[in-house]
Formats: sequence, structure tokens, C-alpha cells
Amino acid sequence: MREIRLAKKIILTLVKDRIQYTGRLIADSLSIFARCGILLILYWYVFRLNNGLVNGVTYITVAWSMFFYFTFSVLNLRNISREIMKDVQSGSVETLLSKPVSYFWYKIWWQIGSGLYPFLVIIIVGAIAMFSIVGIPDTMTLGIFLPTLFLVFIGAMILSLILYSIVGFMAFWIEDINPIFWMVDKMVMILGGSYLPVALFPSFMYKIALYSPFGASQFITHTVYDSWKTNWYILLLIQLFWIIVLGIVAYVIFLKARKRISVNGG
Amino acid sequence: MLKEIKFALYAIKKNIQSSAELRTSFLMNVFGMMINNSAFIILWVYFIKSVGVIGGWNPADIVGLQGFLALAFGIIFSFGNGIRKLPEYVSSGGFDRFMLSPKNLLVRIATASFNASAIGDMAFGIICLVTYAFLIHVTFYQIIAILILLIFSTIIFLALSIIIFSTSFFFMDSNAVSSGLFELFLTPSLFHGGSFQGIMRFIFTFILPSLLVGTLPVETVKDMSILKLSAIGLFSFIWMFISIKIFNKAVKKYESSNFMTFGN
Repeated sequence: MREIRLAKKIILTLVKDRIQYTGRLIADSLSIFARCGILLILYWYVFRLNNGLVNGVTYITVAWSMFFYFTFSVLNLRNISREIMKDVQSGSVETLLSKPVSYFWYKIWWQIGSGLYPFLVIIIVGAIAMFSIVGIPDTMTLGIFLPTLFLVFIGAMILSLILYSIVGFMAFWIEDINPIFWMVDKMVMILGGSYLPVALFPSFMYKIALYSPFGASQFITHTVYDSWKTNWYILLLIQLFWIIVLGIVAYVIFLKARKRISVNGG
Repeated sequence: MLKEIKFALYAIKKNIQSSAELRTSFLMNVFGMMINNSAFIILWVYFIKSVGVIGGWNPADIVGLQGFLALAFGIIFSFGNGIRKLPEYVSSGGFDRFMLSPKNLLVRIATASFNASAIGDMAFGIICLVTYAFLIHVTFYQIIAILILLIFSTIIFLALSIIIFSTSFFFMDSNAVSSGLFELFLTPSLFHGGSFQGIMRFIFTFILPSLLVGTLPVETVKDMSILKLSAIGLFSFIWMFISIKIFNKAVKKYESSNFMTFGN
């Protein structure tokens, strides 16, 4: 109960804080337009050249898949790695670890809270714009779509936070985790279906995307494809598997990291 | 002018020496960035494999595009990383110390910071351009064109970075706004150049010149068009001129918010 109260307090405080900074919302919107908006226009041109069909997939499906990827990225969950690194480098991790709240959970709630407001604004405005301009694929009209989207979204959040926390905990050993962060981040970017949607992957790459934690952390991009109708439970199980495995790994690393703490700050 | 260049070179040398002190971190940053950049080549090459050749662009052109862009990015943000930190200096009041310096303000700010990972961008850019040269069976004139275009694309990248980060003098939450604007400029320059057609090509050439950094230089090397080369050269000097004007105007808007950071 105490944990839930703490989570609620952190998230609400950060949402209120973000509402005050319109500049950051503008920045997030510009960033989404730069990445997703321009990409959607380019794909529209590419699909027109290919008579509306590439690899048996229509433009509407690809557009929504990319929209989900980029909107999810607005939550900025990956930043948990750098936040942990900053705490380690500045030495403030010592203070945070001595508090009567779990450092790991505190970081997770903080990360969710700081990205929630721009995420909600962009997903609502973006979805309305996408619905009016592009339309919706048939899969989005199915009864299972919204419940499974919700489940896979929660799974993607948890898995992303665990994956990037593991990277962040590396800071206890090597301090500058940026090179590892870039590699993991780019694996997620490629296998998650960012600039190249998963439906356009060659078969070997599709398999890697399906069975690796990097691809599994972005399974929300799979929800709009026809295969989702029959495969959704398999993908949810894969996601659950990685959450359990990496969750245990993260917990063990965190316990070991606590023992290795070396404080630089004053 | 010569004195300013000498100062810039001295500051860069000191920055590199200080960064190289942490050798493992320095090398990890350099190699990490090179691997990181490879992701864009993988993505766009598979894009071409999936959707076919668009606008005459093949995988070799993608390598060339990433080469131009990474090298321009690497040069500016390794030796002149201070430009990217401008919003931080302005919001923290750290800009005061630059204003008090007798050196050229822009040179002083640019050389105030060094980014080790941008060396990785530079190395990646060089590898890409050499690979590109092999893939297209480059002629002597094309090598000359690549070298000239590299200078132009670096100037354009520098000019746009100055303009974008100068916005930090006009906004309260300048860090977020300038990084959003920079993203808007940088992201299209990473994209497959052949798929920019019509109005999109016009916007990202003349209004926000993202395509002038990599896409148009690659197409110029392919076509060996003197007209295109001259146009890119002309635009690079126009943008540089505009950027200095904007920077000088923006500095006048600065109001100190000193947090006792003098000398830090």
C-alpha cells in the first residue's frame, strides 16, 4: 500500500511539473513530427510508387505500426539508464540508497511520471490525426484489439524499464555506460520496427525481432498486423518470458551493484 | 583572425588531451558511436531491399549519405561541442564567463567543450566515404567533388547548429526547445534521400536545409553536376552568414542569471 501511495505521489507530482513546461511539450511534438511525421510522408510516397502494397502490407498498417513505435518512445523510458548513471557519477546514489524507499522502484516511477504527460497528449492528438488522415486498418476494429493492445503496452513498458535499468546498473562497474546504451538502444530501434516496420523485415531478421528482448520490448508495433489476430497470445507469452528472465537478471545485478558502490560526489 | 584560429586550435588540443586522459572511456565512446551509427546503414539498406530502388538511390548512396553526415556531425560536435551546450550555458548563467573573454565569442563558446564520441562519428564518416568511393568506382574528379562538398556540408551543419542553439536566448525552457528543433533538422538528413520528392524536397532544401548536408552532396557526386555543387557552395555561405547575424542578434537578448558559475 505504501509503495502504491509513493508511486502515485511521484507520478502525479511529475505530471503536474511537466504541465508547467510547455516548451518541453513543444520539443516532444517537434521530435515526433521530425521522426514519425516525415517518415509517414516518405512511406506514403514509397507505397504510392509500389501501387499501395509492399510485402503484402498496406500503407495504413505500416503507418499505424510506426505511429505506435514513435508514440511509445515519447514515454522516454530508455532514459532510466542515464538517470542511474548520473546518480552513480554524481554520488547521489548513496543518499538515494539510504532512503527508506526502494531505489529501483523510485527510479521506475520517476521515469514513468516524467514521460506520461507528453505521451498522453501526443497519443490523443496523434491518434485523432492518424484516424482522420490515414484511416484505420481492419485489425484495429476487432474486439480483441484494445484489450490486447493494453496488455502488450504494459508489457512493453515493464520490459523496456527492466532492459534499460540493466544497462544503467552497469554504471556501478564502468561509470560511462553510453557505449552500451547506444548499442542496446539501436538494437531496440532496428528490431522494434522504427524506420523499417517489422512487416518489411527479411525472415531471419523478423525471427530475431520476435524472439529477442529488444524486439519484444516493442511488440505494440505488431498489434496492427493481420498476424496479431492469431498470434497475440504467443507474443504476449514471449514478452512475459523476457520480463521474468530479465527481471531476475536486473534484481541480481542491482544487489551486486549495491555492494560495489563507490561514491565520487561530495 | 589568425590569432583566433590559433586560440581555437590550442583549445581543441587541450580538450583532446583532457578527454584522452580517461583512455578506456574515450575508446569505448569512439567505438560505441561507430557501432551505433552502423544501425542507420542496416536500416536503410534493408529498406531498399524491401521496397526497391527509389529516386535512383542504391545501398552505396546510403553509405555515402551516412559518410557526409557523420563526418560533418563529428567535426562540429567534437571540436565545437560548446555550441550544443549553449542552452545549458545560457540557462545556468555560465554564459557570463564567455562574454567577459577577450576572444571571439563564437569561437570561445564552440571550443569550450569536447565530445569524445563525436570522434567516433568522424571515424565512421571517413570509413563510410572511403567505402562509398570504392563502391561507386570513384574517379579523380569525384574525389575532388567529395572533398569540396564535405567542406560545404560541414559549413551548413555548423551554421544550422548555431542558428538552432541560438534560440536558447529567446526561450525560457531553451534546452527542450532547441533540442526539438535540432531533431527536426537532423532527422530528415538521416533518411533515405531518394524518397524526398516534390514539396518535401523543397522544404528540406530551402527552408530547413537538412538535405544539403548529405542527400544533395551524394546526388552531386553521382551526377557530377557543377551547377549543383556551386548551388550547395552558395547556400553554405548564405546559411553561415545568416547564422552569424542571428547569433549576434541573439546574444544581445542575454540576461545574466548567474548561479556563481564564474570560471567553472
